[in-house]
Amino acid sequence: MLKKRIIFTLLFDNGSFMLSRNFRLQKVGNISWLQKNYNFSNVAFFIDELVVLDVSRGQRDLEAFLAALTEISTGCFAPIAAGGGVDSVVHAKQLLRAGADKVVLNSALFEQPHLVQEIASEFGQQCVVGSVDLKANGGGYDIMVNNGMRKLNMPPSEALAWHMRGDVGEIYLNCIDRDGTGQGYDLDILDILPTDWNLPVIIAGGVGNAKHFAAGLAEPRIDAVATAHLFNFVGNGLMNARRALVREGLHLAEWPDIRAVDLGRAG
Amino acid sequence: MGRACVIIDYGMGNLQSVVNALRYLDVDPIVSSDPKLVRDADTLLLPGVGSFRKAMDELNASGLAEAIQHAVTVQHHKILGICLGQQLMAEFGTEDGGCNGLGLVPGVVDRISQPSGGQIKVPHVGFNRVSFEPESRLFYGFEGPVDCYFVHSYSLGVQARPGLAALCDYGAPFVAAYENDNLYCTQFHPEKSQTNGLRILSNFISA
Repeated sequence: MLKKRIIFTLLFDNGSFMLSRNFRLQKVGNISWLQKNYNFSNVAFFIDELVVLDVSRGQRDLEAFLAALTEISTGCFAPIAAGGGVDSVVHAKQLLRAGADKVVLNSALFEQPHLVQEIASEFGQQCVVGSVDLKANGGGYDIMVNNGMRKLNMPPSEALAWHMRGDVGEIYLNCIDRDGTGQGYDLDILDILPTDWNLPVIIAGGVGNAKHFAAGLAEPRIDAVATAHLFNFVGNGLMNARRALVREGLHLAEWPDIRAVDLGRAG
Repeated sequence: MGRACVIIDYGMGNLQSVVNALRYLDVDPIVSSDPKLVRDADTLLLPGVGSFRKAMDELNASGLAEAIQHAVTVQHHKILGICLGQQLMAEFGTEDGGCNGLGLVPGVVDRISQPSGGQIKVPHVGFNRVSFEPESRLFYGFEGPVDCYFVHSYSLGVQARPGLAALCDYGAPFVAAYENDNLYCTQFHPEKSQTNGLRILSNFISA
């Protein structure tokens, strides 16, 4: 059967990787910090998928982002989705050329639906991850666009129903209220999905420990659980969390440790 | 390893990840859209994602389709089709009104269909369990089913026997891997399947 996924999300802002709490950003370190001190190449062997987002608030430095993406993808043998401010097919293609397999679109989903269609028709529906940021409004949720700064004046289920027509391959739901808090996922955000929703769903926002992953993975409507917190699973944290979840019987993929596998170095 | 390992570039998909995985295995591939290089390469990789029809149009217009045929049927060099690459190696694809594939692998590529009763999500995204034939060369050294990463909306039906190397089940069984003499292909992405995939790629290279 199809396994559920654990996704790691890296947030990039003009040269640095960031921590985010309720969408307020805090600088952590650059690409060399990520590789040398954080040992990201090792962390990457314990995830099912990687998301890399350029969340720069001001002018984006696309060249720097592409360079970081290229370097990260070199040692990552899991699928990579990248995005942040994607505003053209050319931009999407640059991300794919830098090592991404999928393009993450957020504001464009609602502000440039034709761009979403163009990217889907150029690279396929499976190449488009629709990222939706949600904020509680006392009773329900609002979709927020432009880095969570502007409220979309349309009910979420209506706004999303439009994307079931075939231009989006997966949806990444992030709860701004839980983002970076470590309080666990807000599973109620799933209620914004139209009742006949039939695309894979990724949930993000709030993971603090393996139990939070387990709660997300146990929810039938969820296909993948994401964390963007660089410090919740340091060292072997992600490896240990993953092994504990498999022991608990959650349906995660398994593969041998890179140190234990004989690749026969064919060259 | 012989003279050259060429990753066929016909403008579709993330080729860099295939390069990265091969380099990790100490293989230094050439990424090329030049039919002359493809005709003479000892080892070919045909990756890709996207539309079957568009990809075939590209391969036919660029002369790459003919070069691939020459390399694998005349020169008998080995090829690994990955994801869309597997589909393109089949006889026919129904996507976008339908068109012929390279015809190297028997069978038709069709959209993943909903099973009666249950509802499955399409595209099929994520790691899924692959059961392989014991004599498979791609799966040499594995014990029991292997988790591999898929992302696709179309698949090759199981009528492709013989040559069926591995099956996956999503709504219905489909061909996860095929191998027949010098022809290899996988619907999953070995370059995206962590150490399981690195090992499968390594098996292909040394096959």
